Amino acid sequence: MNKAALDLKFMADALPVFMSEAREQLASLESLLLELEDTPGDRELLDALFRCAHTIKGSAGIFGLDRIVGFTHHVENLLDQVREGEVQLTPGLSTLLLKSVDQIRNLLAAVNAASGMDMLDDAGEDERAGIVAALQAVSPASAPSSVPAAPVLGASPGPTSPIPVASGVKRWHIAVRFGIDTYRNGMDPLAIVGYLRGLGNVASIQFDRSTLPALDRIDAESCHIAVTLALDTEATLAEIESAFSFVRDDCTLTICPPALSDSDLAHRIEATPDNMRLGEILQAQSGVAPQVVQAALQRQQQQRDTAAPAHPTASAPDENRFIRVHADRLDAVINLLGELVIAGAGAALMARQTKQRGLIEANLQMARLIEEIRNGTLQLRMVPIGETFARFRRVVRDTASELGKEVALDIQGGETELDKSVVERIADPLMHLVRNALDHGLETPEQRQASGKPAQGRLSLSACHESGHIVIRIADDGRGIQRAKVLQRAWDRGLVERGVTPPETELLNLIFEPGFSTAEKVTNLSGRGVGMDVVRRNIQGLRGSIGLHSVEGQGSRIEIRLPLTLAIIDGFLIGVGPSKFIFPLDTVVEVIESQSATPPADARGCSVVELRGKVLPVVSLRHLYALESPAPERVSIVVLKDGERRFGVMVDQLLGQHQTVIKPLGRLFGSLRGMSGSSILGNGEVALIFDVPALGQLAGQRSVPAAPLHRQDSPEHRVTAPSVEGQRT
Amino acid sequence: MPGNCALPAELTIYVAAELRLQWLPWLASESTDETLVVEADAVVEVDAAGLQLLASLAVALQARGRELCLLDASAALRRACENLGMADLLRPTVEAA
Repeated sequence: MNKAALDLKFMADALPVFMSEAREQLASLESLLLELEDTPGDRELLDALFRCAHTIKGSAGIFGLDRIVGFTHHVENLLDQVREGEVQLTPGLSTLLLKSVDQIRNLLAAVNAASGMDMLDDAGEDERAGIVAALQAVSPASAPSSVPAAPVLGASPGPTSPIPVASGVKRWHIAVRFGIDTYRNGMDPLAIVGYLRGLGNVASIQFDRSTLPALDRIDAESCHIAVTLALDTEATLAEIESAFSFVRDDCTLTICPPALSDSDLAHRIEATPDNMRLGEILQAQSGVAPQVVQAALQRQQQQRDTAAPAHPTASAPDENRFIRVHADRLDAVINLLGELVIAGAGAALMARQTKQRGLIEANLQMARLIEEIRNGTLQLRMVPIGETFARFRRVVRDTASELGKEVALDIQGGETELDKSVVERIADPLMHLVRNALDHGLETPEQRQASGKPAQGRLSLSACHESGHIVIRIADDGRGIQRAKVLQRAWDRGLVERGVTPPETELLNLIFEPGFSTAEKVTNLSGRGVGMDVVRRNIQGLRGSIGLHSVEGQGSRIEIRLPLTLAIIDGFLIGVGPSKFIFPLDTVVEVIESQSATPPADARGCSVVELRGKVLPVVSLRHLYALESPAPERVSIVVLKDGERRFGVMVDQLLGQHQTVIKPLGRLFGSLRGMSGSSILGNGEVALIFDVPALGQLAGQRSVPAAPLHRQDSPEHRVTAPSVEGQRT
Repeated sequence: MPGNCALPAELTIYVAAELRLQWLPWLASESTDETLVVEADAVVEVDAAGLQLLASLAVALQARGRELCLLDASAALRRACENLGMADLLRPTVEAA
């Protein structure tokens, strides 16, 4: 392969990594900007902000993405000035910078991942030009007259020199000669030095003019920059080197560590023979006399083997503890794991049939190990939900200002982990709910003050683990849900028969019905009437559930319960006649032996039993799904919980715990109510997995007094019981 | 001839080659003045390539026994010079009267 082809291959390989990293950098840029609104002037955040922009620009340069480099350059410039305190980070400027982040994101999205080519049309060009102009207008550099007439001159103390030298701060001496092609590679030494300033205080810096060709002999596009500088910082060697990571290959870099012994210095000078001049400058700067260096060199010859390096061995930074893995590879492993679980179950079954004790034990051991691998592997896919939450800071900020409302967003439990695929698919429904809360829930400051609340509304997002589920709560202290309005709307839309007032929870749940929207005027944020029902459908698609609590005048709370993972669960296997079913194990509370005196089921297979003084609705699967097999003499009742609610399911056989690999149900079974998926058992049989909340609804509905409505259905419907439910929603 | 010698708003790699050609005549100038006065108040955008070119101009002048004097350097230019250790370029600067 020739060099050009190699380069192309490198690009194709490295580009996706760049894309994902750049997106991360953009995300942190955004969250940093928002954080800075709470803690303005935080130097660390400002530095981090600058570094993000710098990194995006730098890596985009490697791939020759000129548009991104060009645009980000302006952002970087301004951020540098903000960092130096020359420009104040006002809310207006934040908005502008956030818009810039969006633009960079657009530019990034336009890069064709396959070819690395910029596929952008010029659509956003004007908007970007506008932003660039605005960015430049903010920068004081464009208005020289506004700058005080006596800025700091000279090479000595930098503008930030009064910072007290903390104990961890050490002085590093750095000499760097940039490669001749530095500009052509899209790098700017000025920016790199700027990056160093982000790490600490540059006490002095000197440009080496002696190797610079005169104007009549210079190639203006070749880089002849060499500087030496003294940096006071707490950063490690690795962190300092990272500043040069984009130019590392073709620059000559010498970094002298702070705890500098003579021998080290000498060694370093010796190691850079082609750059003696830089070494000399270094000597001058660190105040080491040439004789000392010479002597040190000699001493060093004798002690070379025994001398321990004095510079700090960069303690493995955190980033080394992470490996970036392609999500597809992880998915492939998890798919294989699913097969392994099934195959393992098959092997265990066959072992039991042979009745050989040793074989059975070996299989049990295998099963245990497989379970551990399963847990470990699924853990790999777990990501904290905080990243998704952080996105909402921006949404809340923008939406609130658009609506003229004041909102404080409170985020809790961002570290709660759940499966990556769940996180990805929950983001949109959450977004909708957050917007809804802002739009319909929270009042304007005037309205709030009129009703005796603080002008600033409160919106809180929280996540936590609860019995095998993750619970996400979105709460606001707004006006709450106005039941009268909901009822009126439900009557108007024919969702509820006029004059009938459904019970509290059902009334609130009406807002999740298709085509329901109480907003008086349709805003561009929500109120398109395609809201809550889609949200509910999406969440149910994740085998989750959504609940709503609301106190009129005091606010609403939406609770979303989601399974931790979509791939493999612990199941509880039961049998009805020859059919096998699985309940997710965390929904199973207990199993009770059915009394022979169980009251006869009604036409739908529903009945009730008394359990420790309480009435428990029980549904018979045989009736519900019209399973044609003779009922056994004894049946068991599996007690399931769905949130607060409990209900029983009558089954024939209890087959125990089962590692369940969830396979989706085909389209053919799309109308099947109460089922969420299927699984293959060890012997090749298929078991259906129950969707417990949906099953609970099936069980519950039939015991409510509103039964006459359903009684109209002809008894034949029993055979296709699920479709009866279909008419209801 | 201060009217002729002025730095543009943009002092970057994108215009460096072109600027070099524009500045070459400044060296060849018949002028016997020891200092070449260059108006520097318009500079808005600077990068290392631009600074390098400016320093290179100073080096060339020095070789001819002359000196570069930046008149009323803009804040952007000052900052860039200081950041890259080229503050000496600014040293013989002249504030506008």
